[in-house]
Amino acid sequence: MIAQRLRFKTSSPTQFVDITEKLREEVRKSGLRMGRIHLQSLHTTVGLAVNENEPLLLRDFESLLERLAPTGVGYEHDDFARRFKIALDEPINGHAHCRQLLLTGFATLLVENGDLVLGRWQSVFAVELDGPRTRELAIQLDGDFEAKKSEVARAPRALSSPLAGEVARRAGGGVQSSTSADKELVELELTRQLLADPDPVAVPMRRLVEAGGKRLRPRLVQLTAHIGPRHDPLRAAALAAAVELLHNATLIHDDYVDESTHRRGRPTVAAAEGPERAIAVGDFYFAKATRLIAEIGNNDVTSTIADALEAICAAQIDDVALRGAYPGDHASYLKVVRGKTAALFAASCASGAQLSEAKPDEVETLRRYGDLLGVAFQMADDMVDFSPNSGKPVGLDIRQRVLSLPLIYAAEDKEVGPEVRRLLAGSLGDAEVNRVTELVRSSDALKRVGDEARALVEGALRELEAIELDGLRPTLVGLARSAVDRDS
Amino acid sequence: MTAQALQIDRELERLDGLWEDGLQDTYKSYMDFVGAYEPAERPRLALAAALIESGLRLQGLGGPAAAAAPLLMGDLCLARASRLLADHASQTLQVAFARAIEKMSANAASGEAGGPVREFLVLALESGR
Repeated sequence: MIAQRLRFKTSSPTQFVDITEKLREEVRKSGLRMGRIHLQSLHTTVGLAVNENEPLLLRDFESLLERLAPTGVGYEHDDFARRFKIALDEPINGHAHCRQLLLTGFATLLVENGDLVLGRWQSVFAVELDGPRTRELAIQLDGDFEAKKSEVARAPRALSSPLAGEVARRAGGGVQSSTSADKELVELELTRQLLADPDPVAVPMRRLVEAGGKRLRPRLVQLTAHIGPRHDPLRAAALAAAVELLHNATLIHDDYVDESTHRRGRPTVAAAEGPERAIAVGDFYFAKATRLIAEIGNNDVTSTIADALEAICAAQIDDVALRGAYPGDHASYLKVVRGKTAALFAASCASGAQLSEAKPDEVETLRRYGDLLGVAFQMADDMVDFSPNSGKPVGLDIRQRVLSLPLIYAAEDKEVGPEVRRLLAGSLGDAEVNRVTELVRSSDALKRVGDEARALVEGALRELEAIELDGLRPTLVGLARSAVDRDS
Repeated sequence: MTAQALQIDRELERLDGLWEDGLQDTYKSYMDFVGAYEPAERPRLALAAALIESGLRLQGLGGPAAAAAPLLMGDLCLARASRLLADHASQTLQVAFARAIEKMSANAASGEAGGPVREFLVLALESGR
């Protein structure tokens, strides 16, 4: 199943827009050989019709509509004094709604041998009834598709299986129904990629991937891949899995740098396999992920991810450099977090949208959403270090001198600040870490960080108001809120 | 010749020290292998290859692990090379370079002695045309 949007502009109040060739092109590009193309108007004043494209006949149709539902004859819908919640730009268009009732809002056309099945004189029209405007039709293509060369070359053993086919069909079936199918699809793709790699690199990475993780970045890729007119669940899953591999590759090197012994409850690659292997595994998946992204063949996506990767590496250097002035200040913190965490959140959102050929302003809006969400996520993550219920050892960030906003705020606090700064300046044994944790909890630092994170999430959600998201908004809102309101 | 004269100075942000410390010579070596590419792209492709070689050397890939600071600088070299290739190289060349790094790092993880890094990268440049 392929789902997408067909946008077009109209130029007059009533207009029969012949979309036959556009639909033929969509069928051709999709590779659909035998099946159906479903159309649905997304407007109450745009109808659909299959008829002959003969100019005089089209004028007859216009005349017929005018006779049946004449303009300006006093429709109750146009009596604004009796209506509620009227938009400032509400048009007088009772006639247009009534005309749409005479047409249809949806249609299914058959596809055989890669082409629309139409009679000699049949054309497909989107009928504008209240133009001129920019309009949109939802279209879905389902049936038997020819295998694309690039997909065959990637030998999708798992993704061509009946299970993956079913998952892909569900993933293409609208945002709500695709949520769990999307998750399954990205897990299948990760499994498939890790099966193909040599054991010395695949085994440690498999251990890390199978240990879980929130999969927020792939989720963002898959969600935003619904935004544009060209949603392809398989390509979105391939990109999402590559982004997750890239994220994990950076974690493997980070863990070595931070001398972390555990991640997701399991020994880190550096701790289990030694630093030499950790460096090699990180490099392998860094390269593999960039290759998988390049193979998708979308230059905008490749550049977006490459920019993010550069930002992550530069921020990691800044992060380590700042440990000399631990715990640092708010400006330094933001600079590091924007690169280290938010860059890949932003790139995940932008690249998913780019993959679906969303409009540039939509891509940029989603990039800003991802950036704000990424910073908020990191702040919430910092707070986990002070929670006894998180499942992670309390005070680990302090022990490893990892940049942390609660610590920065506690160090600035009039009451506890002097003691926090004094303790952080010395060596940090268990007693010192416990005391710093106590001091942070007793100050208002955690509340300040929580408030700031929630304010960033609200900012991220305001960004979304600028774009049309169909049914995607609740999911993006829920995901943003859950990123900061954790059970811990 | 300076990086500024080569019009690649903007690509060396945060890597200035490396340029003086061997990256420049590595870059010059790779300029011998990019003659088949468009003249305008040659400096950036040679620089991408030089950054990969220098990055892997800094990380100690295949040898004793580097300390944190050089490892991170090596990561930045690889990321910068990846971005240069994303912006200036064909998909074929991007894939060829990535496969070269995959091969070298898989060898390193297996404890196998691979060939010199330059051999892998020159092969990638040749196959990516």
